[in-house]
Amino acid sequence: MAGQAFKRSIDSVADIYRFSEDIMAAADIDESVRFPVHLAMEELFVNLVSYNPGARRDILIDVQIANAGVVVTITDHDAAEFDVTKERPVDTGASLRERKPGGLGLHLIQHMVDTLEYDYRGGRSRIRFSKEQGTTDV
Amino acid sequence: MFEIDYAESGDIRCSGRLDAAQSAKAEAFLGRLDASRTLDFERLEYISSAGLAILLKTQKRLSESGAAIRIINVNKHIYDIFRYSGFNAIFEIETL
Repeated sequence: MAGQAFKRSIDSVADIYRFSEDIMAAADIDESVRFPVHLAMEELFVNLVSYNPGARRDILIDVQIANAGVVVTITDHDAAEFDVTKERPVDTGASLRERKPGGLGLHLIQHMVDTLEYDYRGGRSRIRFSKEQGTTDV
Repeated sequence: MFEIDYAESGDIRCSGRLDAAQSAKAEAFLGRLDASRTLDFERLEYISSAGLAILLKTQKRLSESGAAIRIINVNKHIYDIFRYSGFNAIFEIETL
């Protein structure tokens, strides 16, 4: 398992990409896994940064290669409780006039990863997700 | 890195990764559009919900004057994102 701490800033998104891309490329992980892993990492990290702006501590990300898939654990020791596994329906069939920008991040993650777990205790938020090859068409 | 500019054809070329850190650049460019345009995604590798929000905001604004953006050369992964988001029903999209 490889882990790294990232500053609570949207600008960290590029560093997170490089960190996880290097690990997945070295393990020859297929793009069909890499794309949704990058997406889920970004969406979850941005959520932690955006919805808890007063927090100060870095956010830890661990990436583990397992068979032809990837397991990612994101730990925030300075978090407000926010269960990312809770269903947040988006009316994807609404007309252009009815659609409102935003709110798609968790909807996409819940469709694209294979497992998604959330644990919160004592101000510590831990999110774990996995993605294996060939499990969705992304 | 994300880049957005005009091609000689008048189409708008997008390249790189349109993530949360780059969405302001896309918003600044697309916010100036006042007529229908084609976005060429041939070199766009990645888009997240931050980029989707900018596309939707632009399409809603343009639709008020009867204009629209059309998106071409969309790769499979980005098209799947569009499909999960329902964007394939509110944008004219051509895949690679």
